[in-house]
Amino acid sequence: MTVKECKVQLEYTPDLVSVPITYRLARDLGLEINILKAAIDENGGKMILFLKGEERIVAEGLRSLEKARVRVKPLGDYVVKDDARCIDCGGCVSLCPMSAYVMSLDDYKVRLDQSKCVACGMCIDSCPRGAIALNQ
Amino acid sequence: MLVTKSYEEINSKIEKGEAVVLTAEEVIHVVEEMGVEKAAKEIDVVTTGTFGAMCSSGAFINFGHSEPPIKMQKVWLNDVPAYTGLAAVDAYIGATEVREYGGISYGGAHVIEDLVAGKDVALRAKAYGTDCYPLKDIQTSINLTNVNQAYLYNPRNMYQNYAVATNSSEKTLHTYMGKLLPRNGNATYCSAGQLSPLLNDPQLRTIGLGTKIFLGGGVGYVTWEGTQYKTNVKTVNDVPAGAARCLAVSGDLRGMDPEFVKALYFPQYGTSLGLGIGVPIPILDEQVLKATCIRDDQIFAPVLDYAEQSRARKPVKLVNYQELRSGAIDINGKEVRTSGLSSYSKARTIAGKLKSWIEKGEFGLTKPVACFPAEQVQKTLEIREVKK
Repeated sequence: MTVKECKVQLEYTPDLVSVPITYRLARDLGLEINILKAAIDENGGKMILFLKGEERIVAEGLRSLEKARVRVKPLGDYVVKDDARCIDCGGCVSLCPMSAYVMSLDDYKVRLDQSKCVACGMCIDSCPRGAIALNQ
Repeated sequence: MLVTKSYEEINSKIEKGEAVVLTAEEVIHVVEEMGVEKAAKEIDVVTTGTFGAMCSSGAFINFGHSEPPIKMQKVWLNDVPAYTGLAAVDAYIGATEVREYGGISYGGAHVIEDLVAGKDVALRAKAYGTDCYPLKDIQTSINLTNVNQAYLYNPRNMYQNYAVATNSSEKTLHTYMGKLLPRNGNATYCSAGQLSPLLNDPQLRTIGLGTKIFLGGGVGYVTWEGTQYKTNVKTVNDVPAGAARCLAVSGDLRGMDPEFVKALYFPQYGTSLGLGIGVPIPILDEQVLKATCIRDDQIFAPVLDYAEQSRARKPVKLVNYQELRSGAIDINGKEVRTSGLSSYSKARTIAGKLKSWIEKGEFGLTKPVACFPAEQVQKTLEIREVKK
């Protein structure tokens, strides 16, 4: 069994707001889900979802979302860290609400775990070297 | 029996390539295993290192004389004003001076970084013109190869310890200690701790006027006590638990390495210079050696609330560098995540580089020409009535 983890952005139209979409992913398919960010009201909105499960089931989950007419966008890297500019001070580490930036206690280098990023933007203006930027 | 070594003995071992050199991290474990007495005989030099924001930095540049000559009255380097109230073509570019137009994200620190990186920098100057210096305007470009002198002269670097910043207010603060989140959302610190030069020789027994150091990847010297140098600071485990001594340093920009001279920009605050410095400590006796064995868990720093906009902030508590480096500290029962602003990985690299220079016999040690004050209090600026 191959386990797959992925991060997706779901776009809700107003008619989908009342559909328990995430509940179905968890209950019907048994996927591990984590809502990283959600901004949805009666006008629709967006949600960033972390999904984990057997590769086949994750794929099925994504298909079921599309069937339900939810626009699914795989979320790539929201920010990029330029390692050539980074001086490994760690200024970003305590600002990230998801602990996506980690200071390794072996070599004292800062690493960014993209899978934890929820695209909040807190880190963008945190770097005194301008090593963190939006991925455009 | 007490071990004593002279600078001459240590230097002669360095010249022969026989000196035993350890970094301030390595020495901790070696002394633990070997014991102080034996280790003091074996070890000749301990190297330290630090890399962090050093705001009180800048460079003197002599541009050379133009034809016809000019006595520069105002000078800009890449649109950043430089001070030129000196002889005709001398100027000082300060790290925190920001450009006049286009925002505060580019400043003197960037000019210095550009020069060290070998780039051309735009020079603009104006003057009122004199009989001996007729030219009134000049626009040209300079770089490290075509100016006469270009050297760092930093009035205050390498602070012996520093505060930890947090923010108890309801809004985010943008400070020279980085972005401080509301309700003690984070805490920032900026010392290399156990690798930091002045924490490894807390009384400055071996570091004084004329001490040769690693400066920005090149060679520099200690040129004076640092501004705001003070000694009346509470000590814990024989080292100051807060900002205390500091040093003025100088060194040629030529020969520096862009890896250790980096411009920094703190949003809504301004620019500063990220600079790497390393200081060698000659192991003259057991006492000097013992001091270099200081560990992160023995070095404490005061947590200050930057929401209180006063020079007389009372520390919330003291925390040690092992706690700070673990990623979180406790403030009033809340787990508060921490960020360094000083790069420990670069501090390590610097201590390592200096070690290899000494091992290869390329870098000898200097005995201080004079020592800095054993006791000194930092004064405050009072708002006094101006008498006419």
